Amino acid sequence: MRIPMHRFKYTMLTKEQIGTKLKSAEGGPRSASTFSNVLNGKTLKIVTQNGPTLEYKFAANRRLTLTEGGKQVAAGYGELTLNQMLFFSHLIPGEQKGYNVFIDQKTNLATVFEVWTSSGIKQNAGRPNEFTLDDREVQRQIYFGYVDGGQKAPEKLHHYTNRMTGKGIHWTQDAGIETLELYASVANTNFVELTRHIDDLSYVATSDYVLVDDRTIIYNRTECEFSGIHTCFVTDLYGVKQVGVRFGFNDKDELEYYMFRGDGKVVGQLAYLENFDDHGLRPMFAPAAASAPAGGAAAVPPTGAALPQKGARTTYRPVRSFTHMTDEEMHQAALKMTSAFGGGAAQQAPPQAVATGNNLQFSDILTGKEFTLRFDNGGPVRDYRIKEMFKLQYRDRSDNVWHDADYRAYEGDDNLAWFSHIIADSKPRASVQVAVDFTNGLATSIESHMGTEYYGNETTYHAIFGAVEMPGPSNVEAPLYVRHQLTDELVGHAFSWSYSDQTTSMHIYSSPHSMSWVIFTGAQALGAEWCSPCIYVKLRPGVYIFCQNEEACNGNQMIELLNTKASHDCGFTFNGSARGVSLGVTGAIGRHIGKFDILELYGPKRRNA
Amino acid sequence: MNILRPGKSRTAQSADNSRRSFIWKMGAGASAALVPAVSMAKAEAKEATTTDNPALRAALLEEEKALRKFHQAFEQAMDKGLHEEVIGMFAADTEGAEVVINGGVFRSRSHGVSRLYRDCFPAGKTGRRMEPAPGFELTADQQRDSVEVSPDLRSAKAVFPYSIQVGMPFETETSLAAMARLHGEGVRMWWEGGVYRVNYRKDAARHWKISRLEYDTLSRADYRPGKSYAQPISVSRFATRFPEDQQGPDDLV
Repeated sequence: MRIPMHRFKYTMLTKEQIGTKLKSAEGGPRSASTFSNVLNGKTLKIVTQNGPTLEYKFAANRRLTLTEGGKQVAAGYGELTLNQMLFFSHLIPGEQKGYNVFIDQKTNLATVFEVWTSSGIKQNAGRPNEFTLDDREVQRQIYFGYVDGGQKAPEKLHHYTNRMTGKGIHWTQDAGIETLELYASVANTNFVELTRHIDDLSYVATSDYVLVDDRTIIYNRTECEFSGIHTCFVTDLYGVKQVGVRFGFNDKDELEYYMFRGDGKVVGQLAYLENFDDHGLRPMFAPAAASAPAGGAAAVPPTGAALPQKGARTTYRPVRSFTHMTDEEMHQAALKMTSAFGGGAAQQAPPQAVATGNNLQFSDILTGKEFTLRFDNGGPVRDYRIKEMFKLQYRDRSDNVWHDADYRAYEGDDNLAWFSHIIADSKPRASVQVAVDFTNGLATSIESHMGTEYYGNETTYHAIFGAVEMPGPSNVEAPLYVRHQLTDELVGHAFSWSYSDQTTSMHIYSSPHSMSWVIFTGAQALGAEWCSPCIYVKLRPGVYIFCQNEEACNGNQMIELLNTKASHDCGFTFNGSARGVSLGVTGAIGRHIGKFDILELYGPKRRNA
Repeated sequence: MNILRPGKSRTAQSADNSRRSFIWKMGAGASAALVPAVSMAKAEAKEATTTDNPALRAALLEEEKALRKFHQAFEQAMDKGLHEEVIGMFAADTEGAEVVINGGVFRSRSHGVSRLYRDCFPAGKTGRRMEPAPGFELTADQQRDSVEVSPDLRSAKAVFPYSIQVGMPFETETSLAAMARLHGEGVRMWWEGGVYRVNYRKDAARHWKISRLEYDTLSRADYRPGKSYAQPISVSRFATRFPEDQQGPDDLV
């Protein structure tokens, strides 16, 4: 798959189309590995808490009959075992639903996933932003229970957990599929399709984690807002093995319903920051709409609270509320208002347009300097005259006209200026974020402008490299060959960034071209998560530029200088909407949360090997 | 409020003479002992006080007890976020009710008061009990509670200390705020301490109802439980009325 998942136009399969496709799977899932045969000839009654009672009879040739609520159906099933765990999966013919059942044969405890399509679930019900989930998006409801053999009902069942939080595993499945899965949140997974996709971009899917015992975890993810496909497995963390199932429709609208075995390698562990007595027993997903506070808030349901609606989960769906603007609409808005650092129409500028919170202090490092930035490969040549701390003059040699511009600058490292300004009269509206290393004579500019091929109100950026020329007593001798450069040194690292005492986000630099960010809850559990492509530039050892656009999200660009020695970042935001274009500032205090050793998984050499 | 120290007894001299038609009663334990002293003072003032009547005195004590219980129920409902119960504690629209908070007045149970407790408070996760921010504890004087019941037993005034969590949703369109809202965050929260100044009135069914509630905020701090220190903060007062501000007050004070 070449088109990124967040750009791919997945078909809006209808309920009827889905029903037709599912008929082919009523005989049960496929499997590249040989099915196990534990259940043949057995009967099982599974009692679940707040869920169904499922009475199974298993016959030869992987056929079963299920009695549920007095109704009996027959279907094919697949079955795999992993240590004491028995896993089987089947659909219910004609109902667009099925069950994935995990049974611990030692304890007789069971975890049951009911899965279904064409849910008709409404989000933001009753609000102006109400929408219905795509029929192709696989829903899941998890029930905890036990195999009823006439014994007393167990007091303790499987339960939700945060024990997988922060772990990363590289999986290789029996059919050759490789994925990198970073379980950085209690409600999401950041994953990279190493074989299915041509680019090494990481994506985020909503997830649940269930503890069976200290070495055994049940997991699932659903690629909501993408294909809607569902992956569910049990893993043994001692042997780092998995058995599971994949169910849903891929980018070609083909039904994928197969079971798999996989071998994994733990690639690292991030710290998770909940209190030590917090074991993540309660799931994090939206409560019933009736109890949702105003403003669309959702919460971890308190003990004894009404159960959340069936299928509820914490899923960020940003593109649903992202308004599409054409390039021309965007430019007309920019003509009405282009704000740099709150200037002009400050009241319309984003809150980050002032250096508040935990941002780095602005610097006067550029004040009094005149210099030229000459970028490589026929890139721009820009002269700068800077007499004040917040106002500069620049001239692009292509038009040879001096322009005044508001700017903000930081000293991101010793004698390393990091500043930004709007490009005057630009169409589409453009800005630059520039690092000038006055010690080494190097310059990098992130050239940003409004508009992508998808949205006029998204930003586009690219990095150009060059040198600084500054005549006079503080002459900088610019190198001819040495340059700043794109880097993968940050890949695998995770930092929390606290922009203020109220806002912290953890960034996972999950691949050479992408990242994800995760929001902490009040209890400092890692919750909502999303992802975007990005680039990294190395300026000096420990000093980098990180640049991302929240693509198919809100189109906002964040361009930060990361000083990992000081655990601080500082930088700029650039975004546009119907209100106009805004260039702002941002910055945060960082904490290094950990690192995944994943760099070896990326790159064309490996793919071609 | 169990997190605050018990209030000291108010002396007879400290009672506001302009309110001599009311009997001051402070602190449940102190009330009984104090009443005779108040009665004597009143007698010397040659004014036949209502407390000369033992039956009335007993009735006043009963009403005070009922009001303390009523306030306890109010605080519990606030703590649990049972805002419909809170709204139901206010006087009906025909009787009039209002809440004064942070420079705004929310009028009428079915309009302003409902808007405050149904929309504004839940959005800001406001109203839950919270331990006082370290270094910002109310003084003993500030923690003093009082209940005064009118002789006709139909109205009352009270002062109770409070120590609560207050918050305000982030007014930003950033993805961080949107994501935080997914799990019930996206709210700037702080601690407030102060006193409730409450007027009560009995309704037709002779149930106590709140006719006026003022949040008299004495202290605010950037604090959450578990944090080792707190810093004072200032919070903007309401500046825009409803309906321009959909969660705003009916009037500004």
